[in-house]
Amino acid sequence: MTEPRLLQNFSGGRAIVVTDRASSLEILLTTLNRLGVGTDPADIFERAAAIDATTLQPDRDIIFIDGDIDDVAVLPLSPIGRLAPAPIIGLLGVSAPSRLKALMRAGATSFLRKPIHGAAVYPALFVGVNEYRRHRHLEALLEGHDRRRRGRRDVVKAIIRTMAEYGVDDDEAYDLLRRRSMKTRQTMEDLCKDLIRSADGQEHGECVPRRKLAD
Amino acid sequence: MPLQNLQVGYLFSSTGSYELVARSMLNGALLAAEEVNASGLGIRLEPSVVNPGGDLSQYSALATTLLKRNIRHVVGCYTSSSRKEVIPLFEKHDALLWYPSHYEGFESSTNVIYTGAAPNQHVLPLVEYLLAHHGHRAFCVGSNYIWAWENNRILRESITARGGSVLAERYFAVGETDFHQAIEAIIEARPSFVFLTLIGTSAYQFFRDFRAACRARGIDQAKEMPVASCSLSEPELEAIGGEAVDGHLSSSVYFCSIQSPANLRFLKAYELRFPEGPTASADAEASYNAVWLLARSAAAAGTDDPRVIKAEIVHQRLDAPQGKVWIDEQTFHAYLTPRIGRSNRNAKFDLISAARAPVQPDPYLVHNSARFEAAAVPSLRLVS
Repeated sequence: MTEPRLLQNFSGGRAIVVTDRASSLEILLTTLNRLGVGTDPADIFERAAAIDATTLQPDRDIIFIDGDIDDVAVLPLSPIGRLAPAPIIGLLGVSAPSRLKALMRAGATSFLRKPIHGAAVYPALFVGVNEYRRHRHLEALLEGHDRRRRGRRDVVKAIIRTMAEYGVDDDEAYDLLRRRSMKTRQTMEDLCKDLIRSADGQEHGECVPRRKLAD
Repeated sequence: MPLQNLQVGYLFSSTGSYELVARSMLNGALLAAEEVNASGLGIRLEPSVVNPGGDLSQYSALATTLLKRNIRHVVGCYTSSSRKEVIPLFEKHDALLWYPSHYEGFESSTNVIYTGAAPNQHVLPLVEYLLAHHGHRAFCVGSNYIWAWENNRILRESITARGGSVLAERYFAVGETDFHQAIEAIIEARPSFVFLTLIGTSAYQFFRDFRAACRARGIDQAKEMPVASCSLSEPELEAIGGEAVDGHLSSSVYFCSIQSPANLRFLKAYELRFPEGPTASADAEASYNAVWLLARSAAAAGTDDPRVIKAEIVHQRLDAPQGKVWIDEQTFHAYLTPRIGRSNRNAKFDLISAARAPVQPDPYLVHNSARFEAAAVPSLRLVS
């Protein structure tokens, strides 16, 4: 899986801001506009719970959550990487460990210190969005590895069956299976799962066509 | 009561490794102040000139001195490192820095008015020109600081996206003048062009040594490996001098060779006032424009309050030597007219292309760059 490229131009993005101090957002919103990130008054909320998580788009939306409000951690997080549905940048007033922890638990991948300094916005976006994308990439990798780990049992079974059926050693059996998976554009795990299932079906008298490896 | 006297600081390194350009900037600013004072605009500028001598630590010390004297407007800085050194001071004192030089972008301080070119007004047009007319193999040589690093990044991304390549990037300390090894490497690599981001005395020495090394090998350097720069200006051509002055490409919003009544007036006044030189440059014009924009805004606002002047400046339209110039209300950078020139034996530039109209500044390249960084060319091999 190719590592994601760094995002460096944020034009076309949409900012969603969660704060109960909307009057202090002028520098943030002005700077975001200069960077091509849209800031609609309708996207400024007093509570994170007001955000409709089902409409969030991770490649477009960037959420700024004020760490000084109470309910920062209400958006659903992914099970492995604990990522929110879109990148979150924490706005720090009080930098005490409890607030930092709350924002990190909410899924923040970058921070902006209040009062916000215009020059700090681009670096915060750059780090926050690209860290989010990197985490998402790693999460997908982990998911893939986990799926493959679960499929190893079928791979081992398929190797043993192939060895018995074709009278070959384990390396050759693996090679036969590997070539078949590339030919049929299946992962090894999916191919072996199918083979084991079809073989089991025959043993149980079901009419499942048996696949040939050496065709 | 209308504002009558306006104190303004001029912060230019009229000595040091890039003194030539900085002196022309100071001249442009001084000329503008004298013209404002004689113009009947109803405002009198009182410049206080300080010289950091190219020493980074002196920039903040001298800027502090000016700001503590309650001067709220300072025109100055040439290098980005010096600008970044003083910006926190202007933010602390809520004063305005009028930065009159081209730069690499990715900045928009609320306490700076940028009258020089943003990267979409000089770096990108040059990259486009080079790729269209000279080829896709670049060799980058620059001074080791943000100006060179960022320009080379922009070039690398544009050229990689079109299947070209950057053969090498070499960086040298500001003021370095020994380029023997780099020149040997360039001649060995035979790039389509050399992208030069050296500044000051380093650049002048490179031009001379590169031309001499090529000539010794019978290579027509200007034709076969032209040097292209986004900062080369007329006073620097004079400093290069002799046999190495011609055939270099420069991307700028101003050249002395622009034929317009406003520019001829500017050049005549400049040469009359500063017969000893240095010759006018793009940065001298940007300094001249900055002072005029400040004076007009202050006169219209009736105050030197930076916030009021920022609100007023976006209404000003200047008939500058380069053409119409005005300030973008979103970024506080200037609308300017990109041009490309080729240096000739008279230490001037022949104009070879120009935009039809002033171009909106895009300091973050929001409208002029890819969303993602350039992808590395994948190294694939045939496996079966």
